[in-house]
Amino acid sequence: MANTSIGSSIVIDGEITGEEALTILGSVKGRIAVAQSVVVEAGATVEATIEAQSLAVSGRVIGNVVARDRVEVRPNGRLLGDVKAPRIAIADGASFKGNVDMDV
Amino acid sequence: MADKSLDKETVIAAGTRIVGGVRGEEDLTVKGRIDGHIELTETLTIEPGGVVQAQIEVKSLIVNGVLVGNARASGSIRLGEKARVVGDLSAPRITVAAGAAFRGKIEMGEGGARPADKQQVADQAASAGAAAIKLPPRLAPPSRAGAAPTATLLAPRVATAPPTRSSGPPSLPRPDAVGVASAPAWSKKKQLRRR
Repeated sequence: MANTSIGSSIVIDGEITGEEALTILGSVKGRIAVAQSVVVEAGATVEATIEAQSLAVSGRVIGNVVARDRVEVRPNGRLLGDVKAPRIAIADGASFKGNVDMDV
Repeated sequence: MADKSLDKETVIAAGTRIVGGVRGEEDLTVKGRIDGHIELTETLTIEPGGVVQAQIEVKSLIVNGVLVGNARASGSIRLGEKARVVGDLSAPRITVAAGAAFRGKIEMGEGGARPADKQQVADQAASAGAAAIKLPPRLAPPSRAGAAPTATLLAPRVATAPPTRSSGPPSLPRPDAVGVASAPAWSKKKQLRRR
């Protein structure tokens, strides 16, 4: 219930850390480190290094990503950066540029 | 997860901390923590448990948590009864609820409140004052201040007068003992006169 949500008109320049899931509809620049999932919704722009349990991208992400569980780039998502996660899914229609490290 | 209400407003949850700047054109609710500066064209709400250490510029501000920093609102600032605020506040309309803790400067500039608003503020202040009297010890400052003088008035007579009768320490109680001794005589005379 008590998830963090960044609305579509919100611009954050700095660092977000936390224990809760994070949903971004707006714009975040800097660093994100949360214990649970991060969802970058369609229309959202993230320019940050991201550390999370999992990451789902429907918007745009520029930055390196480390996920403990999984990274998913959804059909209209764009991800530019290196990704390190045990499981990575890139949907048809998504765009991605960067290195992938599944720790194998 | 996909709550429509969640999508509409921005919420910083209890375990989440933002360090840096936050700007936006929508309401922002803080249950977690923000350090830095906040600029909104809408309302910033600091919920109980929320901590904001920032320079704030918003349309309106509602505080029920902790705020450290200066805040300027183009509309109103409201400190709820659970607010803990250190900083300077500036807005055309500012209300402080009974129970709020505040240290800083308040400036209701920009033409001040309109007459109707002033009346409203006065009403709120009156009701806040009434509420303060009824409020429990948590709100102690006014009630403690009220209780302290009566306690100090009563204490010397009750505590020090009996020892003087039973040859107690002569140092301090003397002048008081005289007061205690003469007072009843005077009041007895008065009572007699009345009869």
